[in-house]
Amino acid sequence: MQAEPSQIADNDLLRAVARGDESALAAIYDRYRLILFGLILRILNDRQDAEDVLQETFLQVWRRAGDFDEARGRAFTWLVTIARSRALDRLRAAGSRARRAEEAAQEPADEIGDAALDALNAEKSAIVRKALAELTDEQRKVLLLAYFEGLTQTEIAERLGDPLGTVKTRMRSGLIRLRELLAHAN
Amino acid sequence: MEHQDYQQLLIPHSLDALEPSDVHAIEAHLETCAECRAELTALRNDVGLLAHAAKPAEPGPQVRARILDAVRAERQENRDGTAVTGRVVPMKPRANWNVWTIGLRLAAGVAFVALLIEIVVLWRHEVKLRQDVAQLERQLNTQQHELARDRDALARQRELVALLNSPNGRKLEMAGAQTAQNARGSFVYDQKSGKAVFLADGLPATPADKAYELWFIPKGRSPVPGRLFTVDASGHALLPEQIPADALDSFVIAITLEPKKGSTAPTSAIYLSTPSS
Repeated sequence: MQAEPSQIADNDLLRAVARGDESALAAIYDRYRLILFGLILRILNDRQDAEDVLQETFLQVWRRAGDFDEARGRAFTWLVTIARSRALDRLRAAGSRARRAEEAAQEPADEIGDAALDALNAEKSAIVRKALAELTDEQRKVLLLAYFEGLTQTEIAERLGDPLGTVKTRMRSGLIRLRELLAHAN
Repeated sequence: MEHQDYQQLLIPHSLDALEPSDVHAIEAHLETCAECRAELTALRNDVGLLAHAAKPAEPGPQVRARILDAVRAERQENRDGTAVTGRVVPMKPRANWNVWTIGLRLAAGVAFVALLIEIVVLWRHEVKLRQDVAQLERQLNTQQHELARDRDALARQRELVALLNSPNGRKLEMAGAQTAQNARGSFVYDQKSGKAVFLADGLPATPADKAYELWFIPKGRSPVPGRLFTVDASGHALLPEQIPADALDSFVIAITLEPKKGSTAPTSAIYLSTPSS
């Protein structure tokens, strides 16, 4: 999953945003709002908070588009990193981690399915979910706790009641396996 | 730590799952290790794909407009020469009202208004009830007063009939004087006991600070004060009287208008009187 047709366009759009082109920002919003909002909503499990964070994310994109360096990662990765960081900040500020803990490894009910995505994003989503399904439950749980709850390895070990070494091993083996599956899918 | 040790940290670092002390260590290493930087970039690209593990969701339609409004406002400020660095664009006031809170607030508002209306209705109802009760009390007082007056009148009329039927009964006619030419009256009495009833009609209305006073004028002596009385709207009066014992033999009766508390001697002209004997 490397040289998608939209990748170049994403970079171009971000460059246009960096020049102050608000229509380029709107285009990025239209292209990724479903995925980014789904991610933020999965982390926060609150639509109102999630909409606020989505707005903060795009304002940050607007202000910091000039910092985007395609040599240091894909545009999608950059967007997702901003959205996830802000959502996790909000989650920690809300101090509601414990309350949402049980939802961590589960898929919360969402409003829409992949059918609403454009073909490319729908395909990516299917590949990622299929790859995750190939992992062991333990590997998947560790990765999802880290990604969607922002837990450190130590916190995951405490949460699951597993030894820290075990968590480290599962995280490592799980991500290596995931990358293999994703590479193979491409 | 060796290079291999840092490599071990790259995977948890790509997931932001390292403890703070390890974060500092790997960041310091990344400053100097291009190989690890490249590896971390590749890892982060793949980790970023985990966003697809969340089901896509549609944000509210207003979010897009809010973002673009904020962006335009920010650009306008930049054109106006406002410093940008470190500036935080204020978020639009958060509409912290989801359907439930709107519903609850609406329900609370409706309940509050309904309560106010209920209070006002009850209050007005109570005021009306109090007014009705006061009205009924006034009517009752009036009726009791009228009843008492009628009883008195009835008692006097019985007394009058009894006096007229008594073998000792006498009746004196009274005529209006200059001041009350239409007035006339009767004085019926028992010449032994001195018990009497006085009737008058056609007397002028009694001024608020005055009262009519009845006088017994024994022959050759000063007037002796009798009852004070007022008349009704038709100038009528009916009242019991007791003739002073020393005036029973021979007397004249006269009515004058006196101060409300009465006088010890007449101060006004005569309104009504029996003929001089």
